[in-house]
Parts: sequence; C-alpha cells; structure tokens
Amino acid sequence: MNSRGHTLPEPDVVETRVSLRTLSEVGGRPTFIDYLVRLWDYRHFVFFDARARVMHSHVQDRLGSLWLILNPLLSGATYYFVFGVMLGTGKGIENFVAYLLIGVYLFNFSTRTINAASRSISGNLRILRAFPFPRAVLPLASNLREAMSMVPGMLVVLLLIVAFPPAEVISEKWLLLVPILVLQTTFHLGVSLILARIVSFARDVTHLVAFAMRVWLYISAVFFSPDRFADHPIIKTILEINPMFRVLDMARDCLIYNRLPATQSWLILALWSLVTLIMGLVFFWRGEESYGRD
Amino acid sequence: MDATNQFVSDPAVVIDNVSMTYKVATNESNPSGDPAWSKLIKRLTPGQRMATVHALKPMSMVASHGETIGVIGRNGSGKSTLMRLIGGNERPTTGSVLATNTPVALGVSAALMPDLPGEENIHLGCLAMGLTPTQVVAKYDQIVELSGLGSAIHLPMKSYSSGMSSRLRFAIATAIDPEILILDEALNTGDAEFSQRTKARMTELRKQAGCVFLVSHAMESIRDLCNRVIWLDKGDFLHDGEPEAVIKLYERFIEQLRRGDLAGADKTKRAARREMQAVEIQESERGRRSIR
Repeated sequence: MNSRGHTLPEPDVVETRVSLRTLSEVGGRPTFIDYLVRLWDYRHFVFFDARARVMHSHVQDRLGSLWLILNPLLSGATYYFVFGVMLGTGKGIENFVAYLLIGVYLFNFSTRTINAASRSISGNLRILRAFPFPRAVLPLASNLREAMSMVPGMLVVLLLIVAFPPAEVISEKWLLLVPILVLQTTFHLGVSLILARIVSFARDVTHLVAFAMRVWLYISAVFFSPDRFADHPIIKTILEINPMFRVLDMARDCLIYNRLPATQSWLILALWSLVTLIMGLVFFWRGEESYGRD
Repeated sequence: MDATNQFVSDPAVVIDNVSMTYKVATNESNPSGDPAWSKLIKRLTPGQRMATVHALKPMSMVASHGETIGVIGRNGSGKSTLMRLIGGNERPTTGSVLATNTPVALGVSAALMPDLPGEENIHLGCLAMGLTPTQVVAKYDQIVELSGLGSAIHLPMKSYSSGMSSRLRFAIATAIDPEILILDEALNTGDAEFSQRTKARMTELRKQAGCVFLVSHAMESIRDLCNRVIWLDKGDFLHDGEPEAVIKLYERFIEQLRRGDLAGADKTKRAARREMQAVEIQESERGRRSIR
C-alpha cells in the first residue's frame, strides 16, 4: 500500500490553548505516600480476590479443599521418612515428629508464598494491561492468598502435635504463634515485592528463586538440630541471623518446649520483617510504571 | 472555531504529541549483508533481532466533555494502541496523555473469574475499579438490571454465552459512572434489546458530562452514538470531524481498496489528511503531575 510511500501531506495546524489546571497525566507514578493511600483503598479488592482464589483453587480436584490439609500431611510424612527414619538427623531432638512438622510446614509456607508472589507480576500481564490499579495489589493478594490457605493445614499440624506421642500440652504460649506468623508474612511480603519487580524484567530469576529457597531450606534447621553446628562458628552465625531459622525456632519454643522465645529472636525477626517490607515497598513502587509493558 | 487559533476551556482528555513505537522480534534477515562472524554471534545468542514498529505516529487532539468520539480505521491502524495509551495501560514513547480523571476501559473484565458466579464477579469487578463494598451494594441492582441476566446471575460466569458475559462486562465497567469511558469493540455482541439498553446507558453517561471513546468497525453504531469521529490508518492520524463527513471519506477509501484501486485509495487518504485540522497543544496553565 505504501507504493507511493512518500510522507503524507501535513495538515493545517490549529494552535489550541488548553487549560491544563484540572488535568493530570494518565498512568503516571504517584508519590510514595499517595501510592500507599491508593493501596489501602484497594484492600477490599485484595481481600475479595484472595478469598475467591483460595476457595476455588481446588474446585477441579475431586477431594476439593481437602488438599489444603492433605498437602502438609503428605509432605510431613515424606520428610519424616527421609530424615527421621533413613538419615536419622533427628537424634537428640526431643519430640522429633513435632519438630519436623513445624519446620516443614512453616518453611513450606515461605517457599510457596515467595515462589508464587515473585511471579505475581510476570504471570498476570493480561490483567496489568487491561486496567490501571496500583500494581502492588498483585503481590499483596498473592501473599494474602497463601497466608489464608495455610491456616487449615496449620490447624492440622497443631492437632498432630497434640495427638502424637509424646503429646504436647496446649499452653497460653501457643497464642504467640499468631504474632510469629504475622512477622513471617510481613517478611514474605517484603521479599516478594523485591522479587516481583526483578522477575518482571528478568523472568529467568524465577529459576534462581526456586533454587535459593532450597538452599535456604537446608540452612534453616528444618530437619536437624542447630546444636549440630555448635563448633562451626560461620554456620552458627548464619543460623542466628537467618530470619527463617528464627521463625522456626520461636514457633518450636512456643509449641513444643513450652518456653517464651528469647527477646533477641523477636528483635531479629521484627527487624528483618520491617526493613524488608519498607525496602520492598519502595523498590516496587519505583518500578510502578514499568509493569506490564515491554 | 477560528482557523489558526482556538481555546478549549473544558477539556476531558488532552493528547499532546503522543506517539508509540514498539520493538518487536523479527526473523527478517538484514539485506545489507552482515559479515559472517556477526551472523554467527547472532545465531548463538538467544535474543532475536528487533524491528521498530510505529504503532502510532505523533498526534495531538483535545476531547471535551459531552463528546462521544468514534475511532475508526482498518485493522492495525493504531486504534487499540491509542485506546491503551488513553487508558493509561501503556506509556507513550513521546508526548503525554492528560485527563481530568482516570479513563475507564472495559478491560476490568480481566480481573473477573470464570469459576465465580456473576454476582460475585460483580463484586470483584467493582472492587477492582476501586469502589468500596458499600458502593458496590448500592450499584448492585442497577448492574444486574443493565446486564439483563436475570437469575443467571447466580450461575458461574463460564456457563454464560459470549453475549451474556459481554453484557455483564459492560454493565460492570460502566457501573462507576466513569467520567471518561473507552469502549473498544465492546458493542458488537448483544441482541437488539441489549443494544437499546446500551444506547440508553451511553446517552446517560454522555449527559453526565462524560466523554466517551468508541472504537468500532460497525459504522452504524458510530453514526448512532458519536458526535465526532477520528480516522486512523497505519498509525497516521488521517481525519477528525463530523461523523457523516469522516465516515463518507472512510467508506470511499475502503470501497477503493476493495476494487483494488490503490492509487485512488491513496488519493483519498491524502485528501483526508490534507483537509484535517491538526491541533498543536499550548498549555495555558500547568497541570498536576499525576492522577491520584
């Protein structure tokens, strides 16, 4: 068609003065505070979306939502077989079954959340291109979804701890599990905001994330006792500042050993969570205009 | 309207020298003949060679409140690109789009879930547009009525016919009384009864001093609904004016293409472009930087 491809004639130009006072740029990045306010305005959507996805995540499966409970049971049994029976890493750990159940379930929660939420931008291009909204809604909803779907399985884990010998008694310290999980979720949120932005322009990073989570699993004392490394100063330090080890250690303190987690643990975990969340929010916000575009 | 100078006091959308170029992968080889080593490197690296596509060449226009603007042109003319730019889903390569309020497109349907019943999707879609739960409850009946779904509203959306779900999407997207509405090929589905209701709703929106962009290949709906039409072709802004005049030019162009009269078509195109009055935006006052 552009056989006579030379440029089209230039039309007459009418200088048009426009009062731009009431106008603002479409799709521009709001200030950080405005952004947080907008995110807050979207809380109902985040909640509704997460709830709907959790409730409908297993509609295709015959056993339906029962999988929310069966999954942790089966993975707990697998790890027990491998590490408790075959490798015997549980020697010297009081109530290894409970120790392992807590470790596996809580760490699994982190793995699933971080894996899912780091893809929340790259995997939702259709929605991103379809309509404008504060993009952090997606990693937020993805975190909330995982947090919601971990609750039934967590209850089952607690039941098992009570039911399996040596049976643990339920004490008021069990309530401390709630703030521990809140801090853990806050930490996830920060990490996934950072990863979601990185993955949005470098998709290959998802492979590294899956790999990093596996390494992290092995250095978080999920299926062995931290005492094992008592004379290994480097590994010991890594364990001590590792927020995931703190989560597991504190949860075990409350649920198995019936003692209050150390103040130091609370401080380390809280610091990790808050700093990561703030960094995550700022980092993610700075990329706001780039999501969903090539 | 003066010939060389005008003032728009009540703009809804200002498109200021906006253009869009994409970089896309291509497997077209470079005819100039690269040296052998460079070909080898290109074969080994996974990145494909990129070509630049001018989806939209620099254009400016001002849309005022109360206007329903039809956007016409062949496939690949840049209509959808322009709509995505106005909707804020993409940023222009050059220039900027300014608006009094965030323009709303029917795209919100991307947030809907086929497994959920229509009623829950109404909640989901409205919340996705930033409504509060109370506002959703207040709008709910109006949405169900406009969708005309009746008791099917309790069934999962995946059981709907395409007409039914596009009615629901339209009803949800227009529920927030958008000040600026973008309809991209949205009205083609739906039976006669629904188009009556669509038309009524569109008239309502227009009366609320709204500004509507309507992309369609159906000249009937453009004639019915629009009071201004713009014509794009291959990324060029060809004409802007009264619906009858623009549609007449466009139909002549299409007819010439159908007959294979390329020279005639080109002439029509050039004539349309020459007769157009392009605008050049002059800011009389500075605007805020971004929409809250």
